[in-house]
Amino acid sequence: MATSRIRIPAPLTKGRCVMQKQGYWGYIFTLPFVINVVVFLLFPILFSTYISFTEWDLFNPPRWIGLDNWVRVLNKHEFWVSIRNVFVFALIFVPIQTLMAFVIAFMLNQAIRAKGLFRLFYFLPVVTPWIAGGVVWVWMFNYQYGVINWVLESVGLAPVKWIDSSHWLMVISSIAIVQVWKGVGQSMIMILAGMQNVPKEVLEASQIDGANGWKQLTKVVFPMVTPMVYLVMILSTISAFQAFDVFLGLFGSITTGIPERNMVPNLLVYRDAFLLFKMGPASATAWLLFVIILSFTLFQKYFEKKWVHYD
Amino acid sequence: MSKKVKVISLMLAFMMMFTACSSSGGSTDGEVSPGEAEGSKEKVTLKIGLPGSYEVTSKEIIDGFIASHPHINVEIQEAPWGDFTSKIATQIAGNTMPDVWFQENATILSYGERGVAEDLSSYIEADLKADEYIDGLFSAKTPEGKIWGVPHGINPIALAYNQDVFEKAGVPVPTDDWTFDDLIEASKQLTIKEGDQTSQFGFIGSFSITNGWFPWIKQAGGSALDDTLTKSRFDDPKTAAGLQQLYDGLDQGYFADIDYLKANGGELEVFASGKAAMYFLQYSLQVNMNESFADTNWDVVKIPKGVEGKRYVPMVANTWLVSSRAKQESKDAAWEFLKYYLGDEVQDIIVKTGSTLPVKKSALDQLKDSTTKPLNKAAFTDGIDEGGVTLDENATWSEWRILVQQVVNEIMVGNVSVEDGVKDIHAKVQDVLDSGK
Repeated sequence: MATSRIRIPAPLTKGRCVMQKQGYWGYIFTLPFVINVVVFLLFPILFSTYISFTEWDLFNPPRWIGLDNWVRVLNKHEFWVSIRNVFVFALIFVPIQTLMAFVIAFMLNQAIRAKGLFRLFYFLPVVTPWIAGGVVWVWMFNYQYGVINWVLESVGLAPVKWIDSSHWLMVISSIAIVQVWKGVGQSMIMILAGMQNVPKEVLEASQIDGANGWKQLTKVVFPMVTPMVYLVMILSTISAFQAFDVFLGLFGSITTGIPERNMVPNLLVYRDAFLLFKMGPASATAWLLFVIILSFTLFQKYFEKKWVHYD
Repeated sequence: MSKKVKVISLMLAFMMMFTACSSSGGSTDGEVSPGEAEGSKEKVTLKIGLPGSYEVTSKEIIDGFIASHPHINVEIQEAPWGDFTSKIATQIAGNTMPDVWFQENATILSYGERGVAEDLSSYIEADLKADEYIDGLFSAKTPEGKIWGVPHGINPIALAYNQDVFEKAGVPVPTDDWTFDDLIEASKQLTIKEGDQTSQFGFIGSFSITNGWFPWIKQAGGSALDDTLTKSRFDDPKTAAGLQQLYDGLDQGYFADIDYLKANGGELEVFASGKAAMYFLQYSLQVNMNESFADTNWDVVKIPKGVEGKRYVPMVANTWLVSSRAKQESKDAAWEFLKYYLGDEVQDIIVKTGSTLPVKKSALDQLKDSTTKPLNKAAFTDGIDEGGVTLDENATWSEWRILVQQVVNEIMVGNVSVEDGVKDIHAKVQDVLDSGK
């Protein structure tokens, strides 16, 4: 006859009771965050995955169509054009923005007059709305009457079609410059914060050892702010792949007809989802964009150890 | 026990917080009731959506309806135009949309196709006398005979001209008998070039759809789509010829181009300041002209005749629709509202605001006595009577229109030839039309 083993729970000790109570309250206090993550993050992620396999116009129930949206998006010329554009956009924007942010931060970290005013000046575009910034840059880029071409012509150079050019590279490069104007202030502040954490003793020691300005910058300051530079690069890369406002600010509106050769993925997502009510292709495009951003970030992460110093 | 109560209270507080968040989406929503709260059980609630708020739809109209229909509880959902249009799609998806609202006619047609709009043909047949209205009443009618809405108002275009510029140049002002060739010829005469720069253009060469490429292809005998709205007609040489004329005007410098317009404050500013002598002006813009450029000496004539002597007056409409998912009693209340809107009282109010044209003939007749600029408002009213056309709107209009505009922009700035451009457009538009079947 088999005897059954009955597990008798251990008597509650005082310590365990307190732990349980603390755990209980822990769940309660994390509840808002958990709800927030589930409702506004997890659910949209899962739902958009599902939608990418359906035909859904927002108004009628989604209809399962398998991989059709993915195949259609991947077969569309405009999708690959948009991917090419966003890659080139990132390749131009990220290095320029990071380099400029580093140089400006280094300059503003020196003992110069009106330092605060300069910091404000460089940060101003960050808080300028895209609508206003877009209008100013459209005017500056105007082929016939813009201030940039006026300057070029006054020194004997030919005017350039900046954002009206038939060459996509010129258009994307011009827009990348505008994005640098908008974002360099934010990156500069981050790198500046990193530079201000460089101990004075280290700088003084390097000076005593004979390091001049350039050597001090490259051999002492730069290695010590590489975590910040790396962070700036990651954030700039993500913002480059998610570029949307800058394109709308300069082109006006999708309904006014942005040429296909100047499209980026987020414009396609917005157009398909909210102008044409094609949620399936929009979700598929968004997921493909996510895969690209993730791959690019992992690529950057791979090289992190080679040049970023956390010690 | 008391701790349990605390926990439950806390959870309830969270739930209330989320409930509050979800119901606070339409912060501008308000309920207006003319009568007492008691006895509202018999009342029908009607939710009216007003994009652009009372700036687009006169408050006098809504107040008048509430006063004259005490049995209907009116709930207004108003928001700036852009906010409303981006919110409405989500509302439809969540089945929380108003019972009746208006948007661009093309959007309403696509809603109809997707089953969101109620077919109003039987309502119209039962309650309206079609001969009291202009043809624009049926802007949202499909080739199959379904009517997805009725107009909030009609906005046709006419040829606006700056009288001072014409007088100074000694060029006779335009007349209703003008053809597009006359327009081009006068534009050349009125253009003043000083070295490399042009100080005055003959005409504003807009290349957006309503006052740009669409009237140009129509006058040349072309079209965007065929009569069934299922076939692209961008392969028609006449369509290409119209685009070529517009491009020539821009390329040869007697039409003001996009760079000039952007650098000089936009189309209205350029026209009002006399930097361009003529302009295809939408009716609604007369309000802006009178507000911002009251001293400009200007008037309008009908849009010129096309190559075959026929006149085409493009008009855009905003259209009211009734939600197909509303309860029957709300649908009936919505139709009560639309009947009221199409009645004499409201149509007269629309005439006074000047922001759009009413569709009732008796109201349009009042415009003949108008003393505000432009004096010749018959150019709009008689124009649509003679040759009013919609912009070949169908259920896929929003999609193919963007594709056309993309290529037209390229043609007009000289990046693509007209010949190559129309080939590209034709293939893309036909693809959209075929996929929308």
